[in-house]
Amino acid sequence: MTKKYPYYIAILFIVALVQELGLSHLTFYHVSPDIVTIFLAFISVTIGQKAGTSFGFFAGLLTGILSGNMGLNMLARTVEGFIAGFFNIPEDSHATTKQKSKRLYGAIVTAGFCANAVLVTGYNPLALSSAYRIFVLGFLESLITLILAFIITRLFLKKSLAG
Amino acid sequence: MQKFFTLFVRYNSYLLFIVYCCISFLFIKFQDRELLTKLRTNGIEFSAFITDKMMSYNYVLHLKEENDRLMLINTDLLSRVLNIETAALDNRNRQKILADTTLNASKFIMARVVNRKFSDRENMLLINAGRSDGIKKDMTVLTPQGLVGRVTTVSEHFAKVMPVINTDFKVSVVSDKSNSMGLLSWNGGREFIAQIENIPISSSLKLNEQFLTSDFSSFSIRGIPVGKVVSIKPDKLFYTVEIRLAVDFASLTHVLIAPLKIEPEKLEMIGENSSGETFP
Repeated sequence: MTKKYPYYIAILFIVALVQELGLSHLTFYHVSPDIVTIFLAFISVTIGQKAGTSFGFFAGLLTGILSGNMGLNMLARTVEGFIAGFFNIPEDSHATTKQKSKRLYGAIVTAGFCANAVLVTGYNPLALSSAYRIFVLGFLESLITLILAFIITRLFLKKSLAG
Repeated sequence: MQKFFTLFVRYNSYLLFIVYCCISFLFIKFQDRELLTKLRTNGIEFSAFITDKMMSYNYVLHLKEENDRLMLINTDLLSRVLNIETAALDNRNRQKILADTTLNASKFIMARVVNRKFSDRENMLLINAGRSDGIKKDMTVLTPQGLVGRVTTVSEHFAKVMPVINTDFKVSVVSDKSNSMGLLSWNGGREFIAQIENIPISSSLKLNEQFLTSDFSSFSIRGIPVGKVVSIKPDKLFYTVEIRLAVDFASLTHVLIAPLKIEPEKLEMIGENSSGETFP
């Protein structure tokens, strides 16, 4: 698995760029799908919590540099990777692709929701209420991200989850 | 000792998490330090460069629509110029405003909006003019329709603008007819409605009066249209006023940047009398 790290680091750069320069513009009711959450959940579920947390930290650094809000993004993404780590599937497990996919979706929703809650506490540019941002927008963002995750899993991750 | 190492190995992912969180908190605490600001500026420069390239292709594809839109703006501007010229002949106050040297149009810098984010996480505009074009922090950003915002971060070729529709934005304004003065802010909600505070109940403010930036502002030049009054609700001491903003942020593509209003003596006086208060 460690042989794949350089490959995952390269993907992390691409994913962060796609998120900040593309997907963050696709807003729907003030929220947008988050491909970084999907990537971090995938890392945490397939590799482990430590890798997920580390990747989360550096993903936060990258997205923070691009968006201009470094500290908060780093904190939110670290939390994201760490929370997703609780859904980790050990390498020697006999889980089926369907079971792995279910765990990945669970990780995406839970970690995305928690990261959103962290971001809400630190920055509120539209002056919306915290409860609305955490529960309504948090749920909506998790839902949109989940739809994107379904598509990405079907198109790209099927093989990785089966292996 | 053995127990300690066993615990360390068992919970090392928690320790790693705590270490990363501590580093993140340090970044939050020291975010205004030079090194981090430089890193952020470079990131914004890079992100703006990529977005600018992407937008350029889009721009070429929509050239016909853009030309039609510019023609409409031209027509609108022409009618505005005619109105102002007529008013200038009859109105001495208008003559004073037009004679003001701070409104010298040749000193304005034109820029294109290359990135716009209006989401729950970020609310800003990115323009393709930076330090090399003479842009400085706190410069006023406007369009012929009215006030857009103020420059907050400047890199070599790009600048980040905090729009009027940001909860952190505040500016002193004055109405054109009753001369009522107040403080413009945006409390969230609809992006075309802003609020004006501190207008005393004794003022003779009426609906549809236009608000302009006032001389009290520490960054903005005076006389920039801000919006028209759409609702006035009396409170105990002050009116709660809502205005419809003059600028349509949804279709903003080009902006003008006004020269920096440097009044160190005025700022010094305000600073002496205020004890740490910030002024819009």
